[in-house]
Amino acid sequence: MGSQSEMEKIIVVQPEKCTGCRTCELVCSFTHTGEFNPARSRISVFTFEKVGFSSPVLCQQCSTAACMQVCPVGAVSRDNKTGAMVVNSSRCLVCKACTIACPLGATFYDHVSDSILKCDLCGGDPECVKFCPSGAITYQEAGEAGLARRKAVAAKLKDVYEEVS
Amino acid sequence: MKLIIDGKAFNAYPGDSILDVARREGIAIPTLCYHEAFGGQGSCRLCTVEVTAGGRSRLVASCTYPVSEGIEVKTSTPAVEKIRRNIIMVLYKRASGSVLMQKLYREYGCSENSLGEKQEERCIVCRLCVLACEKMGTSAISTVMRGIDKRVGTPYDQAATACIGCAACAHICPTGAIEVLDSGNIRTIWNKNFNLINCERCGQPFATREEIDYVSRRSGIEDAELCFCEECRRKKLVGKMQGFSPC
Repeated sequence: MGSQSEMEKIIVVQPEKCTGCRTCELVCSFTHTGEFNPARSRISVFTFEKVGFSSPVLCQQCSTAACMQVCPVGAVSRDNKTGAMVVNSSRCLVCKACTIACPLGATFYDHVSDSILKCDLCGGDPECVKFCPSGAITYQEAGEAGLARRKAVAAKLKDVYEEVS
Repeated sequence: MKLIIDGKAFNAYPGDSILDVARREGIAIPTLCYHEAFGGQGSCRLCTVEVTAGGRSRLVASCTYPVSEGIEVKTSTPAVEKIRRNIIMVLYKRASGSVLMQKLYREYGCSENSLGEKQEERCIVCRLCVLACEKMGTSAISTVMRGIDKRVGTPYDQAATACIGCAACAHICPTGAIEVLDSGNIRTIWNKNFNLINCERCGQPFATREEIDYVSRRSGIEDAELCFCEECRRKKLVGKMQGFSPC
């Protein structure tokens, strides 16, 4: 567990591309619950109007996951195929410890189904990624994602150095 | 090892109960006191099936009966149906206030009889709540008294010091017998009042102090980090990304 296989992919969020349209919230709730209800979406978008900044927030499938650590019955586990942390609802006691423990607030209690909801990567084919119109959410191999981020940091450093010199 | 359920052969692992195999193979056996987190308890007996082993057949609770080589199981025979109907009838009479028991009583077509109904009662003493509390590591509730007086309660029906107010007992209860009342900043459960902690950012009450301590103890996350509601934690993250405090 925790080790990432060659093919394992992760959802990468690029906030600078997010327009705050909330399509992902609708797609997510529709895929999982059959209704367009952002309150039941596993992904949520926050927009800060004053500074003109939006970003989706969703489970990062942490390698050392607080939700798994606090679960008293081992109902939260890693899906070997997708690498997602998934909640086995028939094992879950709904004590909500995971919802308090998650540092991102990405695991939450749903009153309608009386169960704990969190991103399960749609079983390896995340719908939010397919429908994001601006490409702010992408699903890529873990190594690639890291490389892209390192490149971005390097580019920023380059700019800074140019400014200084 | 192999066993036969309703005429079909299935593979089973040593240590499996009949119910484990049935659930895995998608064979429906009704249950009330079974939960995947604890396994079988054999307390409600609704999962009764007919087992034939060594030429003799008898009725057993499938959730606790360990499989053995070559046994034959029938999940629906006149004897099984009759005993299930009796169980539902007796449990309904005991807990007539429960919507689930009323529904099952109708579905199973139980015949009228002169047994008195406890209209106010909803508990069928399946012990799922007690096991849930035990798993949480709190054990604030247990069954008390014996025989027809048996019920679930806290020690001497006082507010239990061990209770953390997580309400897992109420969520797991199949008959909705456990009352949890969230009113303003106060959560009331098992005769105990909890002051709910307000989110440090938005001020909404979201958890009890004891729940936060429980999570902190198990995860090693500092208490101070846990004092935000889910939505504000998400907002905080976005704020951090951009290097400003959320407005």
